Amino acid sequence: MSTTTAIKQEALPVTSEAAAIEINNLVVSYGDKRAVDGLSLSVPIGSVYGFLGPNGAGKTTTIKTLLGFRQPNGGSAKVLGYDIVTQSLALRARVGYVSEVNSMYDYLTIPQMADFCRATSLRWDQSAVDRYLKMFGLPLKARVKQLSKGMKSQLAFSLAMGSQPDLLILDEPTSGLDPIARHDLLNQLVGEVAAGGTTVFFSSHILSEVEAVADWVGIINAGKLVISSELDQLKSSQKVLKLIYAEAPPPAEIDALRALPGAVRVDQEGRSVRITVHGDVNTLSQLVQARPYALRDAEIVDLNLEDIFLEYMKEGGNGR
Amino acid sequence: MVTKELIENRWKLVGGGALVALMALITVFTYELTKGVMNGQAGAKLPGFIHDYIVQMTATFDTFVWASWFSMSNNGGLVMVALAAILGAGLIAGEVGKGSIFLLLSKPISRERVLLTKYAVSAAMLLAVVLFGSLVLLIVTALMGHPQNIGGTLVSDLLFWLALLFTLGVATLFSVIFSDVLRPLALTLVVMLLVALPGFVPGGHDWSLPSYWTSLPAYLGQSFPLKEFVVAIIVAALPLIIVVPLFRRQQY
Repeated sequence: MSTTTAIKQEALPVTSEAAAIEINNLVVSYGDKRAVDGLSLSVPIGSVYGFLGPNGAGKTTTIKTLLGFRQPNGGSAKVLGYDIVTQSLALRARVGYVSEVNSMYDYLTIPQMADFCRATSLRWDQSAVDRYLKMFGLPLKARVKQLSKGMKSQLAFSLAMGSQPDLLILDEPTSGLDPIARHDLLNQLVGEVAAGGTTVFFSSHILSEVEAVADWVGIINAGKLVISSELDQLKSSQKVLKLIYAEAPPPAEIDALRALPGAVRVDQEGRSVRITVHGDVNTLSQLVQARPYALRDAEIVDLNLEDIFLEYMKEGGNGR
Repeated sequence: MVTKELIENRWKLVGGGALVALMALITVFTYELTKGVMNGQAGAKLPGFIHDYIVQMTATFDTFVWASWFSMSNNGGLVMVALAAILGAGLIAGEVGKGSIFLLLSKPISRERVLLTKYAVSAAMLLAVVLFGSLVLLIVTALMGHPQNIGGTLVSDLLFWLALLFTLGVATLFSVIFSDVLRPLALTLVVMLLVALPGFVPGGHDWSLPSYWTSLPAYLGQSFPLKEFVVAIIVAALPLIIVVPLFRRQQY
């Protein structure tokens, strides 16, 4: 038998000062369907922000709207202080973008692609491009069509860095890449870019890669923000208390556990009970152990990002 | 961006140029053959209005060259209209289909500049093809002892280029509306057919756009086709006037 209680949503602070991206009640529709539905979000300057959500959650639509590919149907947003509707050109001069699809010209060589990007950018650092191309070991005389998918992603990343962006937006940058290429692109480079002061905003549904590089995460579902928080804070604020009872506790005891402060979810499987805790898990553990039902074991377990993500998805995104 | 456009369309330019040169040769070398056919039994069997048109067309070598080259339904004209439609159809829809529109629109360039740069490069390529075709025509006709009026040919080239700009503009308009290249191409050819239709109706000559895109007196160096130029310029600008704000508002 499994018992589940609703997650009690507790507002985590969202920084609004010094935000690289500030979204307020954004609405974007495709016909009658709202792909982004009242999204509010703040991305701190200098952060590596993982923008998470299942397929069709509205991640790409949000990014497209921020970059001016689509017009919002409601709400507002600022990127690096520029309004996304009225100051899109100025905004794009300071933003590097790598899309989820291969958006490069197959018939151009790598130097020609670099020339094209240089000619269409307001500022350009060829030495940075050359450094990344060399780091990836890309064949410089090759045409784009001769590159593998991973190489194309590496090229796109290198070219995005050429415009010396203050904000790098990556839309599913590792989609379709093998694990090694994923590791090289994100763990190695995003960290380096962020160390240089560039804010990195990247969407993904591969949670392990987000966990490896992001310091902030936002989860979006059905076009609405579920949560936005510093990753460490999010992980430290959510733990699981695993309990093994000597005998299966009665339903009344499960109800009592649900009522304990900080318990947001209680799952029972026979003698085993799993309590998702938001807040002070040690205090809650002491309270549980003081109750009249004998425990064989009590263990505090950290949640990884995937667990946290799944917890929020189960609730259908009715958070903040 | 201009370089990228030239590289992207280089094979269309080379292919179009080669075809136009071939058509120029065909035009020159089929005069005697066409005239012979018209004077023979085969010509007599043709429906009256077609027979009369071809007889009029083959009256002199110069009229034959003009009708074959600067008519949208013959030789070089057809090839160049098709080339304009192909270039225009792929202008935006090609970028959308390949996904490269997102790279393009992520750059700090206005959509107007993106569109007009791409359009201008295609327009320049069409002008190059028109002039190249005429150059071949002028050289071959001169070598054959039938030199054509150079000034008249240039004026006719410009007038015909304006026709190609209309074709390019219409194809660009459809290219912004649709995300595939095939539909803009097909619809552009349908539009070109429609604008020519009134010419096939008695008394409809003045309502047929192709009648403004060519002028025999201008080709022969007898007059300057001012009215034709005014109409052709306005008509060439129309699709562009519509497509610029349309592209500005388009959602991707």
